[in-house]
Amino acid sequence: MSGRWRRPWLVARREWDQRARSRAFVISTAISVLVVVALIVVPEMYGGGVKPTRIVGLVGESSSQLPSLLRAAGDRLGLTVKTRAFADEAAGQVALRLGDVSVLLVDQRALVWNAEADDQLGAIVASAVRAVDEEQAIAELGLTSGQAQRLLQPPELSSTSLEPATKDRSARAALGIIGMVLLFMAIAFYGGFLLVGIVEEKSSRVVEVLLSRLRPTELLAGKVLGIGLVGLAQFAVVAGLALVALRLSGNTLAPETTPSTIGWVLFWFVLGYGFYSVLYATAGSLVSRQEEAQSIQFPVTAVLLAGYLFAFTAADSPDGVAALVGSLVPPTALMVMIVRIAQGAVPWWQIVLSVALMVATVYGMVQLAGRIYAGAVLRIGRRVRLKEAWRGSEV
Amino acid sequence: MLEIHDLTKRYGHVVALDGASFSVAPGRIVGFLGPNSAGKTTTMRAIFGLVRPDRGEVRWKGKPVGPEERARFGYMPEERGLYPKMKVGEELTYFAELSGMKGAAAKEAAAGWLGRLGLGDRADARLEELSHGNQQRVQLAAALVHDPELAVLDEPFSGLDPLGVESLAEMLVQTAATGVAVVFSSHQLDLVEDVCQDVVIIEHGTIVLAGVVEELKAASPRRSLEVTVNGDPWVPVLPSGTVTSKKDGRVRVLVDATVDLGEILAGARRVGEVTRFSFEPPSLTDLFLEAVSEVRGA
Repeated sequence: MSGRWRRPWLVARREWDQRARSRAFVISTAISVLVVVALIVVPEMYGGGVKPTRIVGLVGESSSQLPSLLRAAGDRLGLTVKTRAFADEAAGQVALRLGDVSVLLVDQRALVWNAEADDQLGAIVASAVRAVDEEQAIAELGLTSGQAQRLLQPPELSSTSLEPATKDRSARAALGIIGMVLLFMAIAFYGGFLLVGIVEEKSSRVVEVLLSRLRPTELLAGKVLGIGLVGLAQFAVVAGLALVALRLSGNTLAPETTPSTIGWVLFWFVLGYGFYSVLYATAGSLVSRQEEAQSIQFPVTAVLLAGYLFAFTAADSPDGVAALVGSLVPPTALMVMIVRIAQGAVPWWQIVLSVALMVATVYGMVQLAGRIYAGAVLRIGRRVRLKEAWRGSEV
Repeated sequence: MLEIHDLTKRYGHVVALDGASFSVAPGRIVGFLGPNSAGKTTTMRAIFGLVRPDRGEVRWKGKPVGPEERARFGYMPEERGLYPKMKVGEELTYFAELSGMKGAAAKEAAAGWLGRLGLGDRADARLEELSHGNQQRVQLAAALVHDPELAVLDEPFSGLDPLGVESLAEMLVQTAATGVAVVFSSHQLDLVEDVCQDVVIIEHGTIVLAGVVEELKAASPRRSLEVTVNGDPWVPVLPSGTVTSKKDGRVRVLVDATVDLGEILAGARRVGEVTRFSFEPPSLTDLFLEAVSEVRGA
């Protein structure tokens, strides 16, 4: 690396060396990987692929075929349905109250629930009972097996969709929310990292030694780049291992769009960090003491948090006008866009427009922030006001 | 040669620098003196582009100073500070690289400086693990690690114990001996008198006195007269002069160089036995106080 990028690169390399090699960084990466992998693998081990079980209590008259018909009807709807016979209704009701059975079927005609009726289970029982009735009717009518088959033949219906398949729409929406939350956390975390790093240079007074060797904008660019790379690397390692775990565990709960959503989250992390890091860095340059670092980052975190909360609203109606606007305006775009992309097709022009707006805004902000940073970073002592920093730029 | 030319800087109504001009030659040690807030730090910051002057410029070898020139300067700010958690060797290497040295050369320079400071075995220690004195030495090394042609040190002696002062003074003399132009500010005038060949005195942003220490002393129209009389305290009766100190019968007076010494000695002998009678050029402190009070009086 030579020329005008040499010094920012040296600054970035120092950030990388000091942070990525630190024990705290290694430990925090390991913990993140463990947590994410556990989130993927554990549900698969306990209950992933196992269908919920319902027990139907049988009282009185009951066809010998009913249990197998119930099981078959349950299978079609993703439930394991078992049966248990009771001598009389009273005994069945006791079991019902104890929760041993989900519903009581009396004489193949009456359903008794403990409190709330389970419509899905009700439909399963109804279809099984109906099959029993049909068998009986066929026998009574003396139909041949051909006639019976014709009667029972299910209609052949063709199937097309107006909208793309949404069979795991809710799972994809949930994935979008998870991605958005991770993005929010990562940006707040690494943004805070950067802010503390900038305050550190002021509080340790090393900044004047540095600025006798490089320009404030070079120092700022190097720090943003270095900490950004550390964050991206940590984020990518965690996301990559999550994908491996997903593949190896054969997780059936995660929608097919998981890898692409992870890719989008990393992509928007780069842009979002670009936007918010400039804000965090500017805030950090205004104070000289670590005790003030918390309060000075509040306005920035508030903007980020507003975007975060807005993204939740947008998740409910991802195709609404509010969500569209939110996914284009830079402060909210990264989080809202993730939620929208995860839920379905976002027209490509909206993504391009959103990215272009973001890049243009970041470029403009870097110019403003560079001047404020330069004006504030050598003023050690009390908190610098934005106006002073703007006017006081020396370099 | 570093030339400070007509530097002027205002902060609102406060005049920090008001047409300050002086120069620093290679191989010379220049003491940069002045009362608090006279403009010393502002001048030093202007050399490194940390302050943008309203008027005037800083020149190095006849050319206005830019980033390229500054890469050959070393600066030790008044506000000391390095990265406390970094290993000392890495820290010095980092600063050498920022000043343009390539990786291997920077490493070598850092190791060389740690060796000279007697810290060769502490290269892997974090800065914060070193004693206060050693941290100060590393701070100086950070300013000089890239073998600058100009060293600018703001109050390098403040906070050092007498041993630290001595070793730092020796290092500055050695550095200048290799052809480096050295300029440092200090309030310890006796120290400056010992270490520096040249002196620059600033007050209210203006240079009030500048030149070679010995020449300034010799050219001064004043002399330092010191007389010790055994017996009654001697009260000098002089046409002009300021008593600067009076202790245990010893009296020190600043007088015009043209006074009649015979008359004074005779007067002193009338009071008692004269055990000490010296007539010398004024001290740097005398020059400093005189130069500064002239500006303040005006």
